[in-house]
Amino acid sequence: MTDILCFSRNNATTVEQPDEQTMVSSCCLQDTLTDLRLVIHVKTPHLEITNIAGEIRRSSEPEDLRIHETLRKVIGVRVGPGIKKIITGLMGTSAIEKKLVFMIGECCNGIILSFTKQVLLSAPEDKEKERDYFANMVKNSPRLYNSCAALSPESPLMDGIEPP
Amino acid sequence: MLTFSRNKLVSIYRKDDRILLVRGILEDDIYGMEMDISISMPDLEIVSIQGKWTRMENSECPRAVPFLQEAVGFRLLEDGFRQRVKKIVGRKSCRHFANILLECCDAAEDAAEVIRAEGEKEGKGTFTLQNSLEEEKEAVIATGPDKDDLDRSMAKPVKGGSAEGLVIDLHVHTSEASPCSSAPLGDLVTKARRIGLDGICLTDHNHVWDPRTLAELRERHDFLILGGNEIATDQGDMLVFGFDEDINEIMRLDKLKKKVLKTGGFIIAAHPFRGFLTFGIGQLGLTPEKAMERPLFKHVDAVEVLNSKVSDKENRFSSQVAEGLDLPGTGGSDAHEVEEVGVYATRFSGVITNEEELVEALKGGNYSPLAFRAEIGAKE
Repeated sequence: MTDILCFSRNNATTVEQPDEQTMVSSCCLQDTLTDLRLVIHVKTPHLEITNIAGEIRRSSEPEDLRIHETLRKVIGVRVGPGIKKIITGLMGTSAIEKKLVFMIGECCNGIILSFTKQVLLSAPEDKEKERDYFANMVKNSPRLYNSCAALSPESPLMDGIEPP
Repeated sequence: MLTFSRNKLVSIYRKDDRILLVRGILEDDIYGMEMDISISMPDLEIVSIQGKWTRMENSECPRAVPFLQEAVGFRLLEDGFRQRVKKIVGRKSCRHFANILLECCDAAEDAAEVIRAEGEKEGKGTFTLQNSLEEEKEAVIATGPDKDDLDRSMAKPVKGGSAEGLVIDLHVHTSEASPCSSAPLGDLVTKARRIGLDGICLTDHNHVWDPRTLAELRERHDFLILGGNEIATDQGDMLVFGFDEDINEIMRLDKLKKKVLKTGGFIIAAHPFRGFLTFGIGQLGLTPEKAMERPLFKHVDAVEVLNSKVSDKENRFSSQVAEGLDLPGTGGSDAHEVEEVGVYATRFSGVITNEEELVEALKGGNYSPLAFRAEIGAKE
């Protein structure tokens, strides 16, 4: 048996903001079995999904999926905490629907992370200042506390922070 | 110009007939990480996992790496696998490691299908994926509390009600009926009584508590335990009272409203401005005036303006929106841990002894949200 790959996958998500009220997030998933493309349009400040389009270029699933109708179910849903549960419930759980839900999740995650990136651009590198910076972030957003190892009660970044 | 990009690459090959080696790489504007996983066949169990950072958010991110070991032993085809990864790896380690781990595991499932199909084509009669775990699956059904839980809280009860009114935590999750909660009902009651709450309302996710069970719980604990339901809709989570239909799907809010109207129930928009884990409302340029335009507010009877899972800023924002729309505001802890019960609550002026009276009181509008723990300085 050689080390030749039996499976490979590339999953790319991008976000752009063509104007102040619109964000466009697209996800392209290509692997040994599947080639799917998805684009969502989100309107700010509510982060409401205003448009969505997708294309199944290649799939091992022999399903006659009406992708357009399926995807349109998520129009009106807001990008926010719990959106994965909402879109899963609206779209369905067949193999291809699960992949589409996953990709919508990736698009939404990209939008959230594009804001996160802006916040983190101002994070200091100095250790002491870094602690103050993240402590302040947690004070402003208590759900961050204990949300990962770096922000756990044992982390030095959380020294002196009371659990919310 | 792109404002953000994330690329993930997963490569899989067969070490031998029993092991898949999976390599995942995640590169985006913020994070860079790599992961190597061994997955056994045919049961698709994670047998080893290593991860490393190449770029990270802060100097403490490396603390996430050892916690990846908690995923060893997870089986990809088991019920709740994705939730376990998100809950355990995502929270103890890092949600971006959880993201690349799930991508790797999803690809591994597909890879196993490819191997199976190729085996069939070659007439090797290799393993079948789907049946290997079917027999081991056990349905996890949310049920009422165990007898043991009911017996746990036997401390001296404090009778509800006072000259200042009845204080009820309207938003509580139990471990018996919400997979995301780790608070047993009996412990919640003990804690609620100890800090001086007059009652709690069980609002487990899409779960209907049997009215007979609730009556029995009230009797057994000699404490006001009421039933509600936190129902997920296309417009977010809604606290619903006076409505006993078991909803097991994501429902359109307008449809839910019609149903609740028929039963004479009451809908509260739960944490309507709960934010993301890093950026605030301010960055979006969302004003209370703009927020009032959201369609969801046409379908709710009240707004939860105090919730312990959101920031003070988000609570204040909810309060401004509720005031602007002339909708009453409520408070609830949204407790998922015993220690969280009663952080926020709602003070009612009248007497409430059951769900019908709760709905009447909510419709009457004679109540107000309060930061209960802070107000009374309640400590264990």
